Amino acid sequence: MARQITIEPVTRAEGHGKVTIFLDDDGYVRDAQFHVTQIRGFEKFCEGRPFYEMPSLMARICGICPVSHLVASAKACDQLMAVQIPETAEYLRRVMNLAQLIQSHALSFFHLASPDFLLGLDSDPATRNIFGLMQSHPNIARDGIMLRKFGQQIIELLGGKRIHPGWIVPGGVSEPLSVDKRDTILAMLPEAMAAIQRTLDWFKRTFDQYPEEIRTFANFPSLFMGLTNDKGELVHYEGRLRFVDATGKIVADQIEAEDYQKYIGEAVEPYSFLKFPYYKPMGYPEGIYRVGPLARLNLINFVGTPLADAEWAEFRELGRGAVLSSFHYHCARLIEILNGIERIEHILNKSDILDKNVRAYADPNRLEGVGISEAPRGTLIHHYRINEDGIITYANLIIATGHNNLAMNRGVLQVAKHFVKGDQLQEGMLNRVEAVIRAYDPCLSCSTHAVGQMPLHVELVNRDGRVVDELTR
Amino acid sequence: MARTLIVGYGNPLRADDGLGWHAAQQLAERIERDDVAIVTCHQLTPELAEAVSQVDLAIFIDAACVGEPGTFRCEEIQPDSRAHVDFTHRFDTPALLACAQVLYGSCPRAVLCSIAAESFDLTEDLSNAVQAALPTLVRQVLALIA
Repeated sequence: MARQITIEPVTRAEGHGKVTIFLDDDGYVRDAQFHVTQIRGFEKFCEGRPFYEMPSLMARICGICPVSHLVASAKACDQLMAVQIPETAEYLRRVMNLAQLIQSHALSFFHLASPDFLLGLDSDPATRNIFGLMQSHPNIARDGIMLRKFGQQIIELLGGKRIHPGWIVPGGVSEPLSVDKRDTILAMLPEAMAAIQRTLDWFKRTFDQYPEEIRTFANFPSLFMGLTNDKGELVHYEGRLRFVDATGKIVADQIEAEDYQKYIGEAVEPYSFLKFPYYKPMGYPEGIYRVGPLARLNLINFVGTPLADAEWAEFRELGRGAVLSSFHYHCARLIEILNGIERIEHILNKSDILDKNVRAYADPNRLEGVGISEAPRGTLIHHYRINEDGIITYANLIIATGHNNLAMNRGVLQVAKHFVKGDQLQEGMLNRVEAVIRAYDPCLSCSTHAVGQMPLHVELVNRDGRVVDELTR
Repeated sequence: MARTLIVGYGNPLRADDGLGWHAAQQLAERIERDDVAIVTCHQLTPELAEAVSQVDLAIFIDAACVGEPGTFRCEEIQPDSRAHVDFTHRFDTPALLACAQVLYGSCPRAVLCSIAAESFDLTEDLSNAVQAALPTLVRQVLALIA
């Protein structure tokens, strides 16, 4: 009898999600689907609002990565105003964007994912969490908390508050950097640097403990997409879009923000509120691509900071061509934290970082604007149209988790086929299905622009739709 | 170095859930002491643990979602790492205290001051019931740190 397993909600991720695993008559996995189960409709209700409200409005999409939305939205608004923002303002936006990336990556790695590595994928779920981690590996837990706090403190110093700072505005930033704030941030860097280096050294040594997971966690050929500059450097604020294939070969490059729709289509499926973006030239669903730290490290020519470049060279040895296993998102995240710390130091030591000229003012001069930045989880696109009064008439957002939707679905199927046997659910199996989703660090609040949490529910349903087994936590 | 930490937490956009922020503001206007620190936040997170571990007294202020609206309570809190942790970047007070104890080696005396909420609607204003009880809460906190 064919059966179906549902995991709902998925734990240790941001937002509400559900997984359904379909079994065939012999109890083998036939198919799997990752569902996102809410919608909030930000794109619709912002219609009719003045364009300059967009950064603050859109930041409310997420409490974890509001800065990412601020950045992409402000860049779209810069386009609507047709201004080039002051160079110092761009530096300062970059610092806040990197601080956001560091705190978000630290949350993903230490708080959400590392209990799997340190306590075991088959360990008791009651203690497979940050408290279990504190008891068994207090030094690593302290490093994680410190790194997240480090990123949050920078955001708070620059923007006045940790969550939803209003400092990034259309045309630049609202306030220049003071000497005291710069020096405070610079003084925090050595401790953060030491913590991430310790973590990288430890984590790289664990890879040989997870050969099966590395082989099966969404390990398949796909395209990878992200921003890079004309030198092919790792960037998170500026640059243009690049696609590479599974061999690392560039298939499209230097795509301007306003041309994104020529390359990215958005399909819908009846089982999820999350759209399925795809690479248009290859069609749907063949045009599967991944974004985020793994993609960024796969598509660049170099990182651009010395310590992270050394780690990146080692990282690229994990694959022939591109690194394909999504398990390695975790390592990529740590390398990006390292790069972020190096970059922040470099930017804050620029001679004009304290310049008072940090904002351009203008009325709307264009009726359409697209802003793209690299959020912690991947490429973030904000696209607005306005009328001549500067009122929003159209908004389209493509969020990192959306870009990864096809890949997450395929990853869930790959893991389920490898680990799910028969029709009796087991904790270790269930956790591995969650863990492959967790590797992408999906933010489902962002992806559907929906609020929520993400506990876990698994259902086993027969061909007629009858639930024959169920696990919930 | 602050020897007392006052943490007002909740969502200030959801009516009575903003109690901690309203109380923190009133307390900040009345307390002029270097040994008392006041912070506000939307939720308790592990990042607060180190600061909690460094004080002698931690006072948490939050709205309660059960009880007769406007009812004030003040209770001692003990560390408990078995608290709800499936959403691992948000703690309740016992979990935060346990985190301070385990990771930073010290857990202060801790008190939770709460008022039972009447409304969690979308507004920055407190309900009449909670607004009426707020002076009692502020007096109690001032007495705790006297």
